[in-house]
Amino acid sequence: MATTMTSPARSGAKTRRVTARAVEGQELALAGVLAVLWLVLSLVTDTFLTTSNLQNILFTVAPIALIGIGMTAVIVTAGIDVSVGSSLAVAAVIVAKLLRDAGVNAPTALLVAVGVGAVLGLINGVVVAYGRIHAIIVTFGTLNLFRFISLRIFDSQQVTGVPDTLEFLGGGAAGRTLGVPNAWWLVMAVGALVWLYMRYAPTGRHLYAIGGDATAARLAGVQVERRLVAVYTLTGVLVGLAACISIGGGGLVQQNIGTGLELQVIAAVVIGGTSIIGGRGTVLGTLLGALLVGTVTSAVTLLQWPSELTALFIGIFILIAVGVDLIRERRRRSR
Amino acid sequence: MRYPRAVRTGFAVAMALVLAATACTRQQENGSSSNEDDTITVAFVPKLQGIPYFEAMNTGGQQAAEDLGVEWIYRGATTADPGAQTEIVRSLIQQRVDVLVVAPNDPDSMAPVLADAQEAGIHVMTSDTDAPNSVREVFVNQATAEGIGQALTDALMEAMGGSGEYAIVSCGQTAANLNAWIEVQREYTASQYPEAEIVDVVYAGEDEARAVSMARDLMNAHPNLRGLVGECTSSAPAVARAVSEAGRIGEVFTVGLGTPQSMVPYLEEGSSSAAILWDVEQLGYLTVWAAYQLATGQEFQEVNRVNDQLTEVQYFADQDMLLLGEPLRITAENARNYNY
Repeated sequence: MATTMTSPARSGAKTRRVTARAVEGQELALAGVLAVLWLVLSLVTDTFLTTSNLQNILFTVAPIALIGIGMTAVIVTAGIDVSVGSSLAVAAVIVAKLLRDAGVNAPTALLVAVGVGAVLGLINGVVVAYGRIHAIIVTFGTLNLFRFISLRIFDSQQVTGVPDTLEFLGGGAAGRTLGVPNAWWLVMAVGALVWLYMRYAPTGRHLYAIGGDATAARLAGVQVERRLVAVYTLTGVLVGLAACISIGGGGLVQQNIGTGLELQVIAAVVIGGTSIIGGRGTVLGTLLGALLVGTVTSAVTLLQWPSELTALFIGIFILIAVGVDLIRERRRRSR
Repeated sequence: MRYPRAVRTGFAVAMALVLAATACTRQQENGSSSNEDDTITVAFVPKLQGIPYFEAMNTGGQQAAEDLGVEWIYRGATTADPGAQTEIVRSLIQQRVDVLVVAPNDPDSMAPVLADAQEAGIHVMTSDTDAPNSVREVFVNQATAEGIGQALTDALMEAMGGSGEYAIVSCGQTAANLNAWIEVQREYTASQYPEAEIVDVVYAGEDEARAVSMARDLMNAHPNLRGLVGECTSSAPAVARAVSEAGRIGEVFTVGLGTPQSMVPYLEEGSSSAAILWDVEQLGYLTVWAAYQLATGQEFQEVNRVNDQLTEVQYFADQDMLLLGEPLRITAENARNYNY
């Protein structure tokens, strides 16, 4: 795995970012791992390659992948957003209460969710960009702050009896088109847009420049602050959409919704080959990373292995991904 | 560039530590000198504040406090964090309450703090969750492991007709009470329902979305699966939701340990057959009553009459334990009678 990723970088280190290839090494490696895993699982179990199982994996992974798209952009700029779980709780409780108490329709609910997410993301972005404070501090602060806000809105009561207004995004039969969960169609659409943007748009390429060296990027005329505000706001918008997915067919929204989500998202991004120190990473990798995590989680249950093995496998994947990234970085510097 | 970044990272880490340290020390308010008069002050520290379960206990506690003429303090942290809970208990010791009741997040780390409280002349109790190796004078137990495990199994077997494969979606893998119930379920199923079989036990944490996903995995992995148990208040609605979304109501039956309000929609649509719980408000009531007995120096009887609803509360002197009673079976018929 390591050799396929490092050899191209060695041969063309200076022109690396100018000639962007369609698919990068770690994405190919990840896709390979995923393909082998799926093949093995469909051979050893007769339950893996079933429609309902694949639907379950895609649906379960959708919110993580969706937020992961934004998180990829954030981490590429050498930032991070650990507040996404709490933001999701705020958006989810507001939307759930509006659906139940005001009976709003689906478009309104989606707009509100996106709006709330955007505002929370904007707050993160503005403080990170203009306050010049490290993103982990800012978003660690807002993680607590947003959780407080959501608990206040919950008002010591879980939201029960949420109607099924958003069931087209949920996990039931009404939430699928051509057998694929609509939530996953949404992930692919948003993923394709952001992938194209980060690859071809000049301002998209600027994100990598900021992550590589923010000072140099600024001197080169990149509007660093504006780009940073944009990526955190984008993440917020996607959190809002993810909140709608998690409400889905309605029912119950509990106070602990979104707790720990940030780590699942960051795990998917890092396993997807995005460098945690910034400057490298793609949306495609993140989607593959999220699918890998979802596949492993589901496979552990299908194989009737003890649940705690999931944590072991995900831990190993993260260490491999970070290790490969570090080795690559060292080789580049030592040259 | 490399140097300033290192400095910034160091600063960032330092700030994170400061923030983490201060985040736990918020809960110092109304330190009123309530103990100057003769009113008995009973303080209860739940695992965390703001969840319906403990809010219902608070409601029952307030009612008892009114009936018995004691002052009731209800104060918990916003996260189920042992450290934050210890802070709050220590601040209550400073306030010199008469009776301190704790539902410990971590029984072992709570034990020395309870010893300090006793040294300060405070009566110490546990409720909802015990700290067995502590100086607590009495533990108010909501139900025995046998009671819960058997009630869950009986309710599910009634729906499944006494036979078939079923699986359990539990929560924290280290939660001692859940594991004790699961153990009872295994033994009770094996002895009472030989035609039924537990095919898997999985752990979803306290994460509802994860529990839904794992419940579906279980249905996929076991095509003959006919039952699912949600072992805690977040997985009980989750297993019902999974069955509902998979369109398998009537084929796969679920029961769980869920709060009535959260289970109402699933009980009414039939994706959940029954929820097993205890009367949480009465648990709060009994807690304050027991505290009152301690503070006024009265002995517990073998069977105690607490109020009109709690007429036969058993006391087990060998374990210093009060038992609320039999678990409650919540169904579509009675779920709406409870407002938590």
